[in-house]
Amino acid sequence: MTRIAPMPLDAITDPELRMLIAEGEALGVPDDLFPRIVARAPEQAVPLMRALVMSHAQGHVDHKLKEIMRILLARFANDNYFASLRSGKARAMGLTETRIDDGCFAYEDDGKGFSAAEKCALRYADLMFLDANQIDEAFYNEMKRHWSEAQIMELGAFVAFHYGMAMFMRSLGAKAAG
Amino acid sequence: MSVNPDAVDAAFFDELRKHYSDDEIVELGAFIGFNLGYHTFFGTLKFYPLFSPDGRLVSQAEAERLYGAAPTSLKPEVAE
Repeated sequence: MTRIAPMPLDAITDPELRMLIAEGEALGVPDDLFPRIVARAPEQAVPLMRALVMSHAQGHVDHKLKEIMRILLARFANDNYFASLRSGKARAMGLTETRIDDGCFAYEDDGKGFSAAEKCALRYADLMFLDANQIDEAFYNEMKRHWSEAQIMELGAFVAFHYGMAMFMRSLGAKAAG
Repeated sequence: MSVNPDAVDAAFFDELRKHYSDDEIVELGAFIGFNLGYHTFFGTLKFYPLFSPDGRLVSQAEAERLYGAAPTSLKPEVAE
C-alpha cells in the first residue's frame, strides 16, 4: 500500500490521461499505479505522464539503452516500483535481464560488450546523482564524440526526469504489482 | 527527499498530513522529484541566467561572474 492512496481508475475521466495510462500499460512503464497517484494533482498528471512515456519510448537514442539507464537510476534511487517495471518494447527488441544487470553493474567491463557510446551514456546516468561534479566539460567533450548534442539533451533530460520520479515513488513506498 | 530520503517515512507523512491534503502532498512530491532531477542535470550544463539582477541582457561569462560558478545551495557550507 502506498503512503498516498491511488485514485480508482474509473474515477479518472480525463481522456488524455486515460490515453496516456493505456500507452504506459502497453509499454509496461509505468503500470497504472503511478498515473493513479499523480492523478490526485490533475493539472500535473497529464504533463508528467506524457513526459514519462514519451521520454522513454520516443526520441533518437536506442530504447533498450534508455531502459537499462532507467532501471540503473531506479535501483540507485532504491525505488522498488520503477526498478521492478520492464518495458515490453525493449524486451521485444531483445533486451534481457542479464543485459540489464550487466548495464547496471558491469558496463565498464569490456567483456560485457557495451560500445564506447553506450558506456558513456551509462556512465552519464551513473554519475549524475552519484557525483555530478564528475560530469564536467571534459565529460561532455567525451559524450560529444559519441552522441549529437540533441541526443545528449535527450539523455540528460531523460536521466533527470526518471530519477526524480523514482525518488518520488520511493518516498511513497510504492511497489510494483506482481 | 534529496539529502536523506530514508527520513521521508510514514511518520513524516503523518506530519505532512497535519498541514496538507493527500492531493497537495502528491503535487509537492512530484514537484520536488522533478526539481531534484532537473536541477542536478542543469548544474552539469553550467548555464546561467540571461539577465543581470538589474535587468540587463548579459553574456554567459558575465552571468557566471555575477551569479557565481556554482549554485549557492550546492556549496557544502550551506548544505550543512
